[in-house]
This record gives sequence, C-alpha cells and structure tokens, in this order.
Amino acid sequence: MGTGLNDGELVRQIGSGTNRQAEAELFRRMAPRIRLYGLRHLRNEQAAEDFTQQVLITTIEALRAGSLREPEKLVSFVLGTCRMTVLDLRRNAQRKERLLEQFGTDLLAPVQPPVPCLDRDQLTRCVQSLTERERAVIVMTFYDEQTGADVASFLGVSEANVRVIRHRAIHQLRDCMGVAV
Amino acid sequence: MSCPNPIDAAVLADYWLGVLASREEESVEEHLLGCDECGSRLREVMGLAEGVRKLAREGSLRMVVSDEFLKRAAEEGLRVREYAPPAGGSVQCTVTTEDDILIGRLAANLNAAKRVDLRIFDERGIEQVRMTDIPFNSAAGDVAFQQSITYAKASPSETLIARLVGFDDEGRERLLGEYTFNHTRSLPGPGAW
Repeated sequence: MGTGLNDGELVRQIGSGTNRQAEAELFRRMAPRIRLYGLRHLRNEQAAEDFTQQVLITTIEALRAGSLREPEKLVSFVLGTCRMTVLDLRRNAQRKERLLEQFGTDLLAPVQPPVPCLDRDQLTRCVQSLTERERAVIVMTFYDEQTGADVASFLGVSEANVRVIRHRAIHQLRDCMGVAV
Repeated sequence: MSCPNPIDAAVLADYWLGVLASREEESVEEHLLGCDECGSRLREVMGLAEGVRKLAREGSLRMVVSDEFLKRAAEEGLRVREYAPPAGGSVQCTVTTEDDILIGRLAANLNAAKRVDLRIFDERGIEQVRMTDIPFNSAAGDVAFQQSITYAKASPSETLIARLVGFDDEGRERLLGEYTFNHTRSLPGPGAW
C-alpha cells in the first residue's frame, strides 16, 4: 500500500534516519519504472532484475546519506543512477552478490510488472487487417528490429515515411486490440 | 492520478526500438521514471511487439516479406520451405510438420510498376485474397510471398493461382506474372479434409 507521500517527502523521510517503511515505498514506487529502463537498455529479464536492484540500492544509499540536496529531483537522480548503472553493468556484472549480502534478500524481492500477453487470434486478425506496407513495417520492426534504411529500401520510401507508417500501424493495432491510444 | 502529458504509444514504440534522438530519449526516460501511466502504456507496446514477433516466428501471417526477414528466420533456426515457380508456370508443393515458414517466390519484371497487387485465386478462378499495393523492390526481380503455414498445414490438397498485377503511372493494369501452386496435403488431418 502506498504511503501517499510525494517524492520529496519520501526522500526527506529516508534521509532523516532508518525508515524502512519509506524505503519500502520507494522500492514499490520506483522498481517497476527502473525495471522498464533496464529492459529497454539490457534487453534481458534477468539482467533488468539485477539492474533494478542495483539502482535501488545505490539510490537508498545516497538518500540515507543525505546526498540528494534537492529531494524533489528524485526522478532526475534515479535517471542518472540508471545511466551510470547500465554503464557499470556493461563493464562489470559482479556486484550483485555483495549487495545481496549487505542488504538482505527481503528488500530486494523481484518486482515484475507483467508485460501484457495478448490474445493471439485477435492479434493475428489485427495484424492481418493492416495494409500490406503497414504489416511489412510492423513485422520487420518488431521481429527483425529493423527500423531505418533496410525497411525504407524494401518499401521504396524514405526513412521518415517508414516512421509515419510505423506510427500509424501501431495506433491501428492498439485500436484494433481495444487499447485506447 | 492521470498523466497530464501522456506520451504517445508510437513514440514509446520508438523509444523501445531505440530510434529516438538522444534528447527526446532522455526526455521520455525522465518522464517514465515518474509516471506509471505511461510506463503501463510502454508495457502494452512491449506486449504488442512481443506478440507480433511471435506471430512472425510462427509463420502464420500472410504477407510479402523481405530477404532480410528470411535470412533472420533461417539464422533463428526456423525451417523455410520455398517454392519458386516460373512466371506462367506451376509447381507441386506441400508442407511438413517441420516447416516453419512457407514462401512462394514470384519472379517478375517489376521495373515499370508504380504499384503492384498480388491476387490469389482458387482453381475455379474465384479470387480468394487481394493484397493491394504490396511492398516490392523493382530491382529485385521477384516478390517473396509468405503463405500462412498454419493455413497450409491445415489445408486440403488444392490448387492456388497467384497473379502479380502491376499498375503504371496512369493506373493502367498489367499482368506481371501468373504462378500456379498445386498443393498436396501430406499431413494427416481431420476427416473433413
């Protein structure tokens, strides 16, 4: 359950001493967001989980030490920590066990907001209802992770047009799947 | 609380794909670290991406594909069965349980075409599918048409005729090639077949 505190109040409470409830709320609030960042940059569930834990621990350490001078800028601080941690992870993936020893596993339980699993038959119908070019762009984009020159060459259009087609197709797919854009 | 400045799903898709300019990516990331509503929308986009990726791997979409797509599929270990009847010709074809992707490669001179449609007919000449304005590379000299492997595996023995139709600048229609696929069912199936 949330505490109702805004980010700044949360930061102040953590900085005022050992406040497990405020720290737990910070974990609850920020872990899913940090995990998305990790998934985007690391493309791996387990790596994103490890990443989330590292960022949260680094953040808690800094907040306990009162290092964040402007408590309202928690998000900016976390973003900076995310960036540094991605770089750090790419250099060295060894910190996790040491951190687990230091902080225990209870606080670091994985937080896994689910990525929605879509109805396969409905999605098939929706993808099939796109125009030929939209379908080609969407499949090449999400299956092959091609976004620029190759798709443009295949379609005989500019890369800017590929982006327009991709955006239109995503809106149509979400609309067809019953998700408000 | 509702987000006062929600990020468009297509922009979130661009973010997920890593194609945003660095300044825009930074702005999106800062927003996402403070907004569960947009984070939720990003997860929906990720779910959509994953769903499309699975459909593509299953070979169950009927569409024109690129050679890069087929190369990637082969690299992933997918088994691609390909038939390439000459224009005006026919080919005997089938699918097995091991096949993942079924391709009809349709050779044609595409140089003069501004738009190309692919039309699929049954053996009585009744049009089954019309794929309008398919993507094509005029220099490639062929079109790789993916038939749904799910459909092909369930299909009875049948004949399908594919026609590539080109349109010039004035919209005049011209047959670029006709290709006959004589599909023989080799998989055990329901009695109805």
